[in-house]
Amino acid sequence: MIKIAMIGGGAGGLITTSKLSSELSEEIKQGKVSITIFDRRETQEFQPGYLETAFRGTKPEKLKKPVDNLISKGVKIVHADCTSLDLDNHQILTERNQERYDFDYVIVSTGCSPDYSQIPGLKEANMDFYTDADVSSRIYSTLQTIKSGRIVVGIAGLPYKCPPSPNEAAFMADEYLRRHDLRQNVDITFITPYTRIYTAEPINEVIEPLYSERNIESRTVFNTDYVDPTKKEIISLEGDTVKYDYLFLTPPHKPAEFLRGTDFADDEGWVKVDKRDLHITDHDYAFAIGDTTNIPTSKAGVEAHLEGLVVANNLVMSVTGEGTKHFFTGRTQCSMETGFHRATFVVGTYDKPVKKIRPSVTNYAEKKVMEKIYWASLEGHYEWLFKYHFKRDYFAENPS
Amino acid sequence: MTTHNVDSKGTACPGPITDLIRAYRKASNGDIIILQATDPGVVPDSKAWCGMTKNELVSTEENNGEYVVTIKVTAKK
Repeated sequence: MIKIAMIGGGAGGLITTSKLSSELSEEIKQGKVSITIFDRRETQEFQPGYLETAFRGTKPEKLKKPVDNLISKGVKIVHADCTSLDLDNHQILTERNQERYDFDYVIVSTGCSPDYSQIPGLKEANMDFYTDADVSSRIYSTLQTIKSGRIVVGIAGLPYKCPPSPNEAAFMADEYLRRHDLRQNVDITFITPYTRIYTAEPINEVIEPLYSERNIESRTVFNTDYVDPTKKEIISLEGDTVKYDYLFLTPPHKPAEFLRGTDFADDEGWVKVDKRDLHITDHDYAFAIGDTTNIPTSKAGVEAHLEGLVVANNLVMSVTGEGTKHFFTGRTQCSMETGFHRATFVVGTYDKPVKKIRPSVTNYAEKKVMEKIYWASLEGHYEWLFKYHFKRDYFAENPS
Repeated sequence: MTTHNVDSKGTACPGPITDLIRAYRKASNGDIIILQATDPGVVPDSKAWCGMTKNELVSTEENNGEYVVTIKVTAKK
Protein backbone atom coordinates (compact mmCIF):
# COMPACT_ATOMS: atom_id res chain seq x y z
CA MET A 1 0.00 0.00 0.00
CA ILE A 2 1.19 3.52 -0.82
CA LYS A 3 0.88 5.70 2.27
CA ILE A 4 0.40 9.45 1.82
CA ALA A 5 0.77 11.55 4.97
CA MET A 6 -0.53 15.11 5.26
CA ILE A 7 0.87 16.96 8.26
CA GLY A 8 -1.64 19.70 9.02
CA GLY A 9 -5.41 19.80 8.57
CA GLY A 10 -5.85 23.47 7.75
CA ALA A 11 -7.06 24.91 4.46
CA GLY A 12 -4.07 23.66 2.45
CA GLY A 13 -4.20 20.18 3.95
CA LEU A 14 -7.94 19.78 3.39
CA ILE A 15 -7.93 21.05 -0.21
CA THR A 16 -4.95 18.87 -1.12
CA THR A 17 -6.34 15.69 0.43
CA SER A 18 -9.70 16.42 -1.17
CA LYS A 19 -8.14 16.40 -4.63
CA LEU A 20 -5.99 13.38 -3.81
CA SER A 21 -8.93 11.34 -2.51
CA SER A 22 -11.06 12.29 -5.47
CA GLU A 23 -8.47 11.35 -8.07
CA LEU A 24 -7.23 8.25 -6.23
CA SER A 25 -10.67 7.02 -5.13
CA GLU A 26 -10.35 3.68 -6.95
CA GLU A 27 -6.89 3.02 -5.54
CA ILE A 28 -8.18 3.86 -2.02
CA LYS A 29 -11.15 1.50 -2.45
CA GLN A 30 -8.83 -1.28 -3.59
CA GLY A 31 -6.55 -0.75 -0.58
CA LYS A 32 -3.64 0.34 -2.75
CA VAL A 33 -3.43 3.87 -1.36
CA SER A 34 -4.10 5.45 2.03
CA ILE A 35 -4.25 9.16 2.87
CA THR A 36 -3.89 10.28 6.50
CA ILE A 37 -4.01 13.77 7.97
CA PHE A 38 -2.12 14.44 11.20
CA ASP A 39 -3.54 17.36 13.19
CA ARG A 40 -4.52 17.74 16.83
CA ARG A 41 -7.25 20.31 16.14
CA GLU A 42 -10.87 19.22 16.28
CA THR A 43 -12.09 22.53 14.84
CA GLN A 44 -11.15 24.42 11.69
CA GLU A 45 -11.56 28.19 11.61
CA PHE A 46 -12.22 30.58 8.75
CA GLN A 47 -9.11 32.70 9.28
CA PRO A 48 -9.99 35.55 6.87
CA GLY A 49 -12.98 36.14 9.14
CA TYR A 50 -10.81 37.14 12.10
CA LEU A 51 -10.85 40.78 10.95
CA GLU A 52 -14.67 40.72 10.85
CA THR A 53 -14.68 39.32 14.38
CA ALA A 54 -12.20 41.94 15.57
CA PHE A 55 -13.70 45.03 13.95
CA ARG A 56 -17.34 44.17 13.19
CA GLY A 57 -18.22 41.87 16.04
CA THR A 58 -18.89 38.65 14.11
CA LYS A 59 -19.30 35.90 16.71
CA PRO A 60 -16.30 33.53 16.84
CA GLU A 61 -18.64 30.53 16.64
CA LYS A 62 -19.63 31.59 13.12
CA LEU A 63 -16.05 31.02 11.95
CA LYS A 64 -15.73 27.45 13.23
CA LYS A 65 -16.50 24.00 11.84
CA PRO A 66 -15.59 20.53 13.08
CA VAL A 67 -12.60 19.23 11.13
CA ASP A 68 -14.12 15.76 10.89
CA ASN A 69 -17.00 17.22 8.87
CA LEU A 70 -14.61 18.73 6.33
CA ILE A 71 -12.50 15.68 5.58
CA SER A 72 -13.14 14.08 2.22
CA LYS A 73 -14.31 10.50 1.81
CA GLY A 74 -11.46 8.05 1.96
CA VAL A 75 -9.20 10.31 4.03
CA LYS A 76 -8.33 9.31 7.61
CA ILE A 77 -7.30 11.69 10.37
CA VAL A 78 -5.07 11.13 13.38
CA HIS A 79 -5.89 13.83 15.93
CA ALA A 80 -2.33 14.36 17.08
CA ASP A 81 0.29 16.89 16.05
CA CYS A 82 3.54 15.82 14.48
CA THR A 83 6.50 16.32 16.81
CA SER A 84 9.20 15.02 14.50
CA LEU A 85 9.54 14.35 10.79
CA ASP A 86 12.30 11.99 9.67
CA LEU A 87 12.42 12.32 5.90
CA ASP A 88 15.33 9.93 5.40
CA ASN A 89 13.56 7.11 7.22
CA HIS A 90 10.05 8.05 6.02
CA GLN A 91 8.65 8.37 9.52
CA ILE A 92 6.41 10.75 11.45
CA LEU A 93 6.48 10.85 15.22
CA THR A 94 3.33 12.23 16.87
CA GLU A 95 2.70 13.68 20.30
CA ARG A 96 0.14 10.96 21.03
CA ASN A 97 2.04 8.31 22.97
CA GLN A 98 5.04 9.01 20.77
CA GLU A 99 3.46 6.90 18.03
CA ARG A 100 5.38 6.44 14.79
CA TYR A 101 3.81 6.36 11.33
CA ASP A 102 5.48 5.34 8.10
CA PHE A 103 4.84 7.08 4.82
CA ASP A 104 5.80 6.86 1.18
CA TYR A 105 4.89 10.46 0.44
CA VAL A 106 4.54 13.33 2.89
CA ILE A 107 3.17 16.86 2.57
CA VAL A 108 3.85 19.46 5.25
CA SER A 109 1.08 22.03 5.59
CA THR A 110 1.43 23.24 9.15
CA GLY A 111 1.03 26.97 8.51
CA CYS A 112 2.45 29.59 10.83
CA SER A 113 1.41 31.34 14.02
CA PRO A 114 2.20 34.52 15.96
CA ASP A 115 5.64 34.58 17.59
CA TYR A 116 5.50 37.01 20.46
CA SER A 117 8.89 35.93 21.78
CA GLN A 118 10.65 38.12 19.19
CA ILE A 119 9.36 41.42 20.59
CA PRO A 120 9.56 41.97 24.35
CA GLY A 121 6.44 43.49 25.85
CA LEU A 122 4.26 42.90 22.80
CA LYS A 123 2.35 39.94 24.24
CA GLU A 124 1.30 41.86 27.34
CA ALA A 125 0.28 44.97 25.40
CA ASN A 126 -1.26 43.64 22.22
CA MET A 127 -4.49 42.13 20.96
CA ASP A 128 -4.23 40.39 17.61
CA PHE A 129 -6.51 39.04 14.91
CA TYR A 130 -4.24 36.12 13.97
CA THR A 131 -4.12 33.75 16.94
CA ASP A 132 -7.71 32.49 16.67
CA ALA A 133 -11.31 33.67 16.49
CA ASP A 134 -11.76 33.95 20.26
CA VAL A 135 -8.64 36.09 20.67
CA SER A 136 -9.77 38.26 17.75
CA SER A 137 -13.09 38.90 19.49
CA ARG A 138 -11.26 40.61 22.35
CA ILE A 139 -10.50 43.49 20.00
CA TYR A 140 -14.19 44.09 19.36
CA SER A 141 -14.94 43.98 23.07
CA THR A 142 -12.26 46.61 23.58
CA LEU A 143 -13.42 48.75 20.63
CA GLN A 144 -16.84 49.02 22.25
CA THR A 145 -15.27 50.66 25.30
CA ILE A 146 -13.13 53.21 23.45
CA LYS A 147 -14.20 56.83 23.76
CA SER A 148 -10.91 58.60 23.02
CA GLY A 149 -7.17 58.00 22.66
CA ARG A 150 -4.89 56.45 20.05
CA ILE A 151 -5.19 53.08 18.35
CA VAL A 152 -1.96 51.77 16.84
CA VAL A 153 -2.14 49.09 14.16
CA GLY A 154 0.47 47.84 11.70
CA ILE A 155 3.36 45.45 11.28
CA ALA A 156 5.44 44.68 14.36
CA GLY A 157 7.69 42.14 12.67
CA LEU A 158 8.32 39.93 9.65
CA PRO A 159 7.20 37.63 8.24
CA TYR A 160 3.47 37.54 8.88
CA LYS A 161 0.46 36.03 7.17
CA CYS A 162 -2.13 37.80 5.05
CA PRO A 163 -0.07 40.79 3.83
CA PRO A 164 -2.95 43.30 3.49
CA SER A 165 -4.45 42.55 6.92
CA PRO A 166 -2.59 45.25 8.91
CA ASN A 167 -3.86 47.87 6.43
CA GLU A 168 -7.34 46.38 6.58
CA ALA A 169 -7.22 46.77 10.36
CA ALA A 170 -6.52 50.49 9.94
CA PHE A 171 -9.41 50.94 7.51
CA MET A 172 -11.84 48.82 9.51
CA ALA A 173 -11.00 50.56 12.79
CA ASP A 174 -11.57 53.86 11.01
CA GLU A 175 -14.93 52.67 9.69
CA TYR A 176 -16.03 51.46 13.13
CA LEU A 177 -15.15 54.77 14.78
CA ARG A 178 -16.83 56.85 12.06
CA ARG A 179 -20.00 54.77 12.24
CA HIS A 180 -20.07 55.31 16.00
CA ASP A 181 -19.31 59.04 15.73
CA LEU A 182 -16.07 58.62 17.67
CA ARG A 183 -13.48 59.22 15.00
CA GLN A 184 -12.88 62.84 16.01
CA ASN A 185 -11.85 61.63 19.47
CA VAL A 186 -9.68 58.69 18.46
CA ASP A 187 -6.44 58.83 16.46
CA ILE A 188 -5.27 55.88 14.36
CA THR A 189 -1.58 55.32 13.66
CA PHE A 190 -0.24 52.67 11.27
CA ILE A 191 3.36 51.53 11.71
CA THR A 192 5.41 49.45 9.28
CA PRO A 193 9.09 48.52 8.83
CA TYR A 194 8.71 48.96 5.07
CA THR A 195 9.41 52.19 3.21
CA ARG A 196 5.80 52.43 2.02
CA ILE A 197 2.38 51.98 3.62
CA TYR A 198 1.96 48.92 1.39
CA THR A 199 5.08 47.24 0.10
CA ALA A 200 3.96 46.79 -3.50
CA GLU A 201 4.11 50.22 -5.12
CA PRO A 202 0.95 49.86 -7.30
CA ILE A 203 -1.18 49.09 -4.25
CA ASN A 204 0.59 51.75 -2.21
CA GLU A 205 -0.40 54.30 -4.86
CA VAL A 206 -4.01 53.27 -4.36
CA ILE A 207 -4.16 53.26 -0.56
CA GLU A 208 -1.81 56.08 0.40
CA PRO A 209 -4.37 58.75 -0.61
CA LEU A 210 -7.00 56.90 1.41
CA TYR A 211 -4.82 57.16 4.51
CA SER A 212 -4.74 60.95 4.00
CA GLU A 213 -8.49 61.14 3.33
CA ARG A 214 -9.32 59.10 6.41
CA ASN A 215 -6.78 60.92 8.57
CA ILE A 216 -4.86 57.73 9.40
CA GLU A 217 -1.31 58.62 10.42
CA SER A 218 1.45 56.40 9.04
CA ARG A 219 4.97 55.78 10.33
CA THR A 220 7.06 53.97 7.72
CA VAL A 221 10.48 52.34 8.36
CA PHE A 222 9.44 51.88 11.97
CA ASN A 223 11.27 48.72 13.10
CA THR A 224 9.61 47.71 16.35
CA ASP A 225 12.22 46.72 18.92
CA TYR A 226 10.09 46.34 22.04
CA VAL A 227 6.91 47.54 23.70
CA ASP A 228 6.73 49.15 27.12
CA PRO A 229 3.23 48.28 28.37
CA THR A 230 3.63 50.45 31.47
CA LYS A 231 4.40 53.63 29.54
CA LYS A 232 2.23 52.47 26.62
CA GLU A 233 5.04 53.07 24.15
CA ILE A 234 6.42 51.20 21.15
CA ILE A 235 10.17 51.71 20.75
CA SER A 236 11.94 51.18 17.43
CA LEU A 237 15.39 49.75 16.80
CA GLU A 238 16.47 53.30 15.98
CA GLY A 239 15.17 54.65 19.28
CA ASP A 240 12.00 56.33 18.01
CA THR A 241 8.83 56.07 20.06
CA VAL A 242 5.14 55.77 19.21
CA LYS A 243 2.62 56.14 22.00
CA TYR A 244 -0.57 54.09 22.09
CA ASP A 245 -3.66 53.61 24.16
CA TYR A 246 -4.86 50.52 22.29
CA LEU A 247 -2.52 48.19 20.42
CA PHE A 248 -3.72 45.88 17.63
CA LEU A 249 -0.39 45.09 15.97
CA THR A 250 0.48 42.25 13.62
CA PRO A 251 3.10 40.11 15.36
CA PRO A 252 5.88 38.34 13.46
CA HIS A 253 4.99 34.73 12.69
CA LYS A 254 6.82 31.44 13.14
CA PRO A 255 6.50 27.99 11.59
CA ALA A 256 5.64 24.82 13.53
CA GLU A 257 8.18 24.07 16.23
CA PHE A 258 9.15 20.59 14.96
CA LEU A 259 10.58 22.08 11.77
CA ARG A 260 13.23 24.20 13.48
CA GLY A 261 16.67 22.59 13.38
CA THR A 262 15.85 20.15 10.60
CA ASP A 263 18.08 19.96 7.54
CA PHE A 264 15.14 20.68 5.25
CA ALA A 265 14.24 24.01 6.88
CA ASP A 266 16.11 27.30 7.09
CA ASP A 267 17.50 28.62 10.37
CA GLU A 268 14.05 29.90 11.42
CA GLY A 269 12.27 26.67 10.51
CA TRP A 270 10.65 27.68 7.20
CA VAL A 271 10.70 24.65 4.91
CA LYS A 272 12.99 24.93 1.90
CA VAL A 273 11.06 23.93 -1.21
CA ASP A 274 11.28 24.33 -4.94
CA LYS A 275 9.07 27.34 -5.61
CA ARG A 276 7.57 25.75 -8.74
CA ASP A 277 6.82 22.12 -7.80
CA LEU A 278 6.97 22.49 -3.99
CA HIS A 279 9.13 19.43 -3.36
CA ILE A 280 11.31 19.70 -0.30
CA THR A 281 14.91 20.24 -1.29
CA ASP A 282 16.68 16.90 -1.92
CA HIS A 283 13.56 14.83 -1.19
CA ASP A 284 11.35 14.16 -4.21
CA TYR A 285 8.77 12.26 -2.14
CA ALA A 286 8.28 15.12 0.33
CA PHE A 287 6.49 18.43 -0.23
CA ALA A 288 5.48 21.52 1.68
CA ILE A 289 2.72 23.99 0.89
CA GLY A 290 1.27 27.20 2.27
CA ASP A 291 2.57 29.47 4.99
CA THR A 292 5.18 27.01 6.26
CA THR A 293 7.42 27.27 3.18
CA ASN A 294 10.22 29.75 2.56
CA ILE A 295 9.12 30.59 -1.00
CA PRO A 296 8.86 34.25 -1.97
CA THR A 297 5.08 34.59 -2.04
CA SER A 298 2.48 35.91 0.34
CA LYS A 299 1.57 33.80 3.32
CA ALA A 300 -2.09 33.52 2.40
CA GLY A 301 -4.77 30.90 1.81
CA VAL A 302 -4.83 31.24 -1.95
CA GLU A 303 -1.18 30.16 -2.15
CA ALA A 304 -1.84 27.10 -0.01
CA HIS A 305 -4.82 26.30 -2.25
CA LEU A 306 -3.01 26.54 -5.58
CA GLU A 307 0.19 24.93 -4.27
CA GLY A 308 -1.84 22.06 -2.82
CA LEU A 309 -3.50 21.41 -6.17
CA VAL A 310 -0.11 21.31 -7.89
CA VAL A 311 1.30 18.87 -5.35
CA ALA A 312 -1.82 16.69 -5.48
CA ASN A 313 -1.72 16.55 -9.28
CA ASN A 314 1.94 15.59 -9.32
CA LEU A 315 1.50 13.02 -6.59
CA VAL A 316 -1.40 11.39 -8.45
CA MET A 317 0.86 11.30 -11.50
CA SER A 318 3.56 9.54 -9.47
CA VAL A 319 1.10 6.99 -8.11
CA THR A 320 -0.80 6.22 -11.32
CA GLY A 321 1.88 6.96 -13.89
CA GLU A 322 -0.64 9.02 -15.82
CA GLY A 323 -1.09 12.75 -16.46
CA THR A 324 1.26 15.67 -16.87
CA LYS A 325 3.26 17.53 -14.27
CA HIS A 326 1.98 20.89 -13.00
CA PHE A 327 3.89 23.84 -11.56
CA PHE A 328 2.89 26.65 -9.18
CA THR A 329 2.76 30.07 -10.83
CA GLY A 330 3.22 32.09 -7.63
CA ARG A 331 -0.26 33.52 -8.07
CA THR A 332 -1.48 35.66 -5.21
CA GLN A 333 -4.98 37.05 -4.78
CA CYS A 334 -5.17 38.82 -1.45
CA SER A 335 -8.21 40.99 -0.87
CA MET A 336 -7.72 44.25 0.99
CA GLU A 337 -10.81 45.78 2.44
CA THR A 338 -10.61 49.58 2.52
CA GLY A 339 -13.76 50.10 4.58
CA PHE A 340 -17.31 51.12 3.72
CA HIS A 341 -17.94 48.12 1.45
CA ARG A 342 -14.98 48.64 -0.82
CA ALA A 343 -11.95 46.45 -1.45
CA THR A 344 -8.95 46.08 -3.70
CA PHE A 345 -6.97 42.96 -4.54
CA VAL A 346 -3.24 42.30 -4.47
CA VAL A 347 -2.80 40.19 -7.60
CA GLY A 348 0.48 38.95 -9.05
CA THR A 349 2.56 35.90 -9.90
CA TYR A 350 6.25 35.00 -9.89
CA ASP A 351 6.53 36.53 -13.34
CA LYS A 352 3.91 39.28 -13.28
CA PRO A 353 4.26 42.15 -10.81
CA VAL A 354 1.37 43.28 -8.65
CA LYS A 355 -1.25 45.24 -10.56
CA LYS A 356 -2.86 48.52 -9.61
CA ILE A 357 -6.47 47.74 -8.74
CA ARG A 358 -8.64 50.50 -7.34
CA PRO A 359 -10.98 49.75 -4.44
CA SER A 360 -14.55 49.11 -5.52
CA VAL A 361 -17.85 47.71 -4.36
CA THR A 362 -17.50 44.99 -7.02
CA ASN A 363 -14.20 43.83 -5.49
CA TYR A 364 -15.85 43.81 -2.09
CA ALA A 365 -18.68 41.66 -3.47
CA GLU A 366 -16.12 39.26 -4.95
CA LYS A 367 -14.42 39.00 -1.56
CA LYS A 368 -17.79 38.19 0.00
CA VAL A 369 -18.49 35.50 -2.61
CA MET A 370 -15.15 33.89 -1.74
CA GLU A 371 -16.18 33.89 1.91
CA LYS A 372 -19.48 32.20 1.08
CA ILE A 373 -17.87 29.37 -0.82
CA TYR A 374 -14.89 28.93 1.53
CA TRP A 375 -16.05 25.83 3.40
CA ALA A 376 -17.25 24.08 0.27
CA SER A 377 -13.97 24.91 -1.48
CA LEU A 378 -12.03 23.05 1.22
CA GLU A 379 -13.91 19.93 0.17
CA GLY A 380 -12.98 20.43 -3.45
CA HIS A 381 -16.15 22.10 -4.68
CA TYR A 382 -16.05 25.16 -6.93
CA GLU A 383 -12.71 24.22 -8.48
CA TRP A 384 -14.29 25.03 -11.85
CA LEU A 385 -14.82 28.57 -10.57
CA PHE A 386 -11.24 28.96 -9.34
CA LYS A 387 -9.94 27.52 -12.60
CA TYR A 388 -12.04 30.01 -14.56
CA HIS A 389 -11.01 32.89 -12.30
CA PHE A 390 -7.27 32.23 -12.23
CA LYS A 391 -7.09 31.14 -15.87
CA ARG A 392 -3.43 30.69 -16.89
CA ASP A 393 -2.27 31.31 -13.34
CA TYR A 394 -4.21 28.29 -11.99
CA PHE A 395 -1.14 26.19 -12.72
CA ALA A 396 1.70 26.15 -15.24
CA GLU A 397 2.68 23.28 -17.51
CA ASN A 398 6.31 24.38 -17.59
CA PRO A 399 8.62 25.26 -14.72
CA SER A 400 9.30 28.78 -16.01
CA MET B 1 31.61 42.97 13.59
CA THR B 2 29.61 40.29 11.82
CA THR B 3 28.82 39.96 8.15
CA HIS B 4 25.26 38.84 7.37
CA ASN B 5 24.92 37.31 3.92
CA VAL B 6 21.35 37.47 2.68
CA ASP B 7 20.42 35.54 -0.45
CA SER B 8 17.28 37.00 -2.01
CA LYS B 9 18.00 35.81 -5.52
CA GLY B 10 14.85 34.73 -7.33
CA THR B 11 12.53 36.79 -5.17
CA ALA B 12 10.73 39.90 -6.31
CA CYS B 13 9.46 42.92 -4.40
CA PRO B 14 8.97 42.83 -1.47
CA GLY B 15 11.20 39.76 -1.09
CA PRO B 16 14.63 41.45 -0.95
CA ILE B 17 13.53 44.32 1.30
CA THR B 18 11.72 41.85 3.57
CA ASP B 19 14.88 39.78 3.84
CA LEU B 20 16.91 42.94 4.48
CA ILE B 21 14.61 44.04 7.31
CA ARG B 22 14.71 40.56 8.87
CA ALA B 23 18.52 40.52 8.74
CA TYR B 24 18.67 44.06 10.15
CA ARG B 25 16.68 42.96 13.20
CA LYS B 26 19.37 40.38 14.03
CA ALA B 27 22.33 42.69 13.30
CA SER B 28 24.22 45.10 15.55
CA ASN B 29 25.76 48.48 14.80
CA GLY B 30 28.96 47.99 12.81
CA ASP B 31 27.74 44.78 11.20
CA ILE B 32 27.68 44.44 7.43
CA ILE B 33 24.65 43.13 5.53
CA ILE B 34 25.38 41.82 2.04
CA LEU B 35 22.10 41.48 0.16
CA GLN B 36 22.14 39.50 -3.08
CA ALA B 37 19.13 39.74 -5.39
CA THR B 38 18.02 39.39 -8.98
CA ASP B 39 15.17 41.90 -8.71
CA PRO B 40 16.44 45.26 -10.05
CA GLY B 41 14.13 46.99 -7.57
CA VAL B 42 16.53 45.97 -4.81
CA VAL B 43 18.83 48.93 -5.60
CA PRO B 44 16.31 51.82 -5.32
CA ASP B 45 14.48 50.07 -2.47
CA SER B 46 17.70 49.59 -0.49
CA LYS B 47 18.78 53.18 -1.16
CA ALA B 48 15.41 54.45 0.07
CA TRP B 49 15.52 52.17 3.10
CA CYS B 50 19.04 53.27 4.06
CA GLY B 51 18.13 56.93 3.59
CA MET B 52 15.04 56.63 5.76
CA THR B 53 16.58 54.50 8.52
CA LYS B 54 19.94 56.34 8.48
CA ASN B 55 21.94 53.16 7.89
CA GLU B 56 24.93 53.39 5.56
CA LEU B 57 24.69 52.19 1.98
CA VAL B 58 28.27 51.08 1.31
CA SER B 59 27.93 49.95 -2.32
CA THR B 60 25.71 48.50 -5.01
CA GLU B 61 27.01 46.26 -7.78
CA GLU B 62 25.38 44.62 -10.78
CA ASN B 63 26.85 41.67 -12.60
CA ASN B 64 24.92 39.73 -15.27
CA GLY B 65 21.55 40.47 -13.72
CA GLU B 66 22.64 39.78 -10.16
CA TYR B 67 22.72 42.66 -7.71
CA VAL B 68 24.81 42.91 -4.57
CA VAL B 69 23.93 45.61 -2.08
CA THR B 70 26.26 46.16 0.86
CA ILE B 71 24.95 47.99 3.91
CA LYS B 72 26.67 48.93 7.14
CA VAL B 73 24.36 48.94 10.16
CA THR B 74 24.77 52.27 11.90
CA ALA B 75 21.33 53.45 13.00
CA LYS B 76 20.50 51.19 15.92
CA LYS B 77 20.28 52.71 19.40
